[in-house]
Amino acid sequence: MNKTRNSLLTIAAIVVFFIFLWYASTHFNKYSIRIMNDVAIFMMLAVSYNLINGVTGQFSLEPNGFTAIGAYVSSLLTLTVAQKHAMFIIVPMIHPFDTWHLPFLAALIVGGLVTSVIAFVLAFPVFRVRGDYLAIVTLGFGIVIRVFSTNAISLTNGALGLKGISESTNLWWSWGWAVFSIIIIMRLVNSGYGRAMKAIRDDEDAAIAMGINSLKIKMIAFITSAFFEGVAGGLLAHLITTISPTLFTFFLTFNLLIIIVVGGLGSMTGSIIATVMVVWGSELLRVVDQPMHIFSITIPGVPGMRMILFSVLLIATMIFAREGIMGQREFSWNSFFNMFRARKQR
Amino acid sequence: MSILKCDDLIMQFGGLAAVNHFSLSIEAGTIKGLIGPNGAGKTTVFNMITGNYKPTSGNITFFNESITGLKPYKIVARGMARTFQNIRLFSNLSVLDNVLVGFHHKIKYKLYDAVMRLPRFKSEERIMHETCLQLLDRVGLKDRAYLKADELPYGDQRKTEIARALATGPKLLLLDEPAAGMNPQETTDLMYFISEIRDKFDVTILLIEHDMRFVMGLCEDVTVLDHGEKIAEGKPADVQKNQKVIVAYLGEPDA
Repeated sequence: MNKTRNSLLTIAAIVVFFIFLWYASTHFNKYSIRIMNDVAIFMMLAVSYNLINGVTGQFSLEPNGFTAIGAYVSSLLTLTVAQKHAMFIIVPMIHPFDTWHLPFLAALIVGGLVTSVIAFVLAFPVFRVRGDYLAIVTLGFGIVIRVFSTNAISLTNGALGLKGISESTNLWWSWGWAVFSIIIIMRLVNSGYGRAMKAIRDDEDAAIAMGINSLKIKMIAFITSAFFEGVAGGLLAHLITTISPTLFTFFLTFNLLIIIVVGGLGSMTGSIIATVMVVWGSELLRVVDQPMHIFSITIPGVPGMRMILFSVLLIATMIFAREGIMGQREFSWNSFFNMFRARKQR
Repeated sequence: MSILKCDDLIMQFGGLAAVNHFSLSIEAGTIKGLIGPNGAGKTTVFNMITGNYKPTSGNITFFNESITGLKPYKIVARGMARTFQNIRLFSNLSVLDNVLVGFHHKIKYKLYDAVMRLPRFKSEERIMHETCLQLLDRVGLKDRAYLKADELPYGDQRKTEIARALATGPKLLLLDEPAAGMNPQETTDLMYFISEIRDKFDVTILLIEHDMRFVMGLCEDVTVLDHGEKIAEGKPADVQKNQKVIVAYLGEPDA
């Protein structure tokens, strides 16, 4: 009985949320809508990054590389043939690719699938190493992707980047994908496969000794997060309409790392809360980058002051809440109602 | 019938032969002890049998099939499970989830069943939960099923680890120093627990142990290892009197 009640509540919550989105898309100004899109895309990235990093416990630093792949593949597919011919001024684009054109959704999915295939191939060398080594190998991969996108001019237009990408990402696309990815990943985590992932995180050798094919399970996590990171990359590209190799630096991964650590490694609820905090918060904190007048003292604007505040936030998390906001707990309707019941009794 | 046979196993780490020409055979339904002084190579033997190490030479057969060099998770699927010398539970998971992980290799539903929550997923998960709770009931941990594994007292953590190994459906259970770090009372309880498990779950048990009272009280058959070589084998009472064993444990008597 509780189960039906809970799934009805979940559906109701999603419906209410989309009604809110509809309201937002008609009443909010462009700036607010842009922030909401950013939050959705980062939420998708954070949740999928948390799957490999928090749930499976593989300290990997791959998101910037995977988002770059997704962004490039889907943008190249949605650009019209004429646009591509006009844009590739240094070297023309390699032949069959310049004639391909796909609608937005198909391009996003192809972007995600290409990223997954690359993740699959990458997984064989990557998962031969564990821990810090894994981080270094995946960090290197991100750099390889950036160097590749700068130098493979006939495929990516090099440092000039791609511009004039159609502005297809709206609230519906970004939040639709975000909700979809959260549902899929939560279902994966709450299944036997998710249990095996957590077992590998806690003790890989013991997990293998209990009959878990650890390479296979790690691959499932890696490829799933690669798919959603690729799609998120595509959404990002169609939101800002111009992409270049410098967009996908390690700072993207670093921001996501802040989000999942602050939210709690292994907790999807934590990642969702922390994404809103960090992405929206960094917009609210724009004031600290500007000159301030406090009483009669004038503080000159220091660009990058926000990053210092975020570092402080990260350090504070490390000291006072090592497990993050949520630890490894998840939101559930049962605990939500229990919270009220406990209050009433008091 | 002998279910596990080790023939002439050698394990070399660089120039050191940790295990040398070791042979062993276990009869179905028995509890066999593997004893020896520190560094004798007992855990190395375990690691070879369970597939963690690939023997330098020699052959291991399990139910008349060679399992030498197979990956550990494949050996588990053939009906062998182990516990570790220092308890290695999945400390952030509940007791129930720990035991459920043991069922993992029997899961038949596919990834898409799980993601789409198809009936196959639901029914299989429900049956797995029920079987698991029954198993916990049989080992006396049912009321702790929803506690986090690292919140349990030491003795119950051992039991959970054994329950997790039992969940894989083993025919042979390998226990690496189950009584390590236990007081005399806990050790006695564990002795009853292990012999109960043998009868209830119809498993054969091979165990490493230092506690002589434990070994002598529980094992029907004992193999003694020293410096990687087998020095004695037989009934516990006979082994205890064996001159080589006494020398290995206590040293040469002064002339």
